[in-house]
Amino acid sequence: MKRLILPIVAGLVLGGIVHLVAVLIVPYLAERDAYARLAAVTDINSVAPIEDPSPDGAVLPASDPAFVSAVCLYDLGDGPMKIRMPTTQDYTSISFYTRHGMPFYAINDRSAGRSVIELDLMNSKQRAALPENDEVTVADRLVVESPSDEGVVIIRALVRERSARDEIRALVDAAGCDSPS
Amino acid sequence: MRALLFFLTLAIGAAVGLGLTFITMVNGYGPAGIRAGAWQAWPKAGTEEADPYARAALARAGELPLELADGLAFIATTDDAGRPLDGRCDIHLSGAIPQARFWTLTVTDGRGRLIANAAQRNGFTSPEVVWNRDGTLDIWLGPRARPGNWLPTGARERIALTLRLYDTPVGLASSTNDAPRMPRLVTERCP
Repeated sequence: MKRLILPIVAGLVLGGIVHLVAVLIVPYLAERDAYARLAAVTDINSVAPIEDPSPDGAVLPASDPAFVSAVCLYDLGDGPMKIRMPTTQDYTSISFYTRHGMPFYAINDRSAGRSVIELDLMNSKQRAALPENDEVTVADRLVVESPSDEGVVIIRALVRERSARDEIRALVDAAGCDSPS
Repeated sequence: MRALLFFLTLAIGAAVGLGLTFITMVNGYGPAGIRAGAWQAWPKAGTEEADPYARAALARAGELPLELADGLAFIATTDDAGRPLDGRCDIHLSGAIPQARFWTLTVTDGRGRLIANAAQRNGFTSPEVVWNRDGTLDIWLGPRARPGNWLPTGARERIALTLRLYDTPVGLASSTNDAPRMPRLVTERCP
């Protein structure tokens, strides 16, 4: 019996290590993560509508059925991107995630304070390369710095009541996600 | 005998490690949640400071979290007494909603899917719900239609409610312990 103590204690310690490692690598190994689900419905560097959630399922689990949404999967390898979205009467938001789902920036119609939200999305290198004497213009533009080259932009607008859904859908479809060149 | 003990060590290690990982990932989004009555939320999961448990649970489920700068989602799977929400019963949601520019309430089945129903209603938004004069709310959930704010539950055995607050100060305070007052959830009648 005594000789079992060591394997049990060692096993528990090993179990703790396995647990920590597993939790840390799951975001990088998950095959059906949000990026993979979205990549199935859209191309890189373009806006695609996300189908509304229905009883048959949703593109992304746990998304709010009261919203109309669109997605843009970006790759900054070829240069910065321009994101634009006309706001609605109600709640409109743009949120940014890295390739592995870490949220890093979100803005809504009110924090943007204008009728069209326009953002320049770039990585830290591209931001550092912005011309210095451009300060005034830069202050005027909303620059979002992405911690990674690849990521996800989710564009969403609230549908106040069902009858307004088509109208809001048209507005969300007018959103843009393009490289300026 | 040595080899046997060695394999025992490995077996215990694998079972404990993977078992623990599985348990922490299927129940909510890790230990950093806040609780208010029957409602639970994970404000930190929607920020860059999300802990590894939240990130692992989200990746496994294939979800993107609601960013805290955008809003905060509260989830309830039980009533105030701790009984699992049963779609065959009449459930009464009442009280005030925390301050927010907009909010939405969504009812899903136990696995997070919308419930098909003839009324094609899966929730309410703050502009469309009927408010009481004093700014509080009464919403009834149940399998049978009734006047007032009614959400069909399709008589599912398990249902879950998600209340999403948009553009809200809730959760932004530095101390995550001060949970807001959330609406009450009471199971009133079961067949």
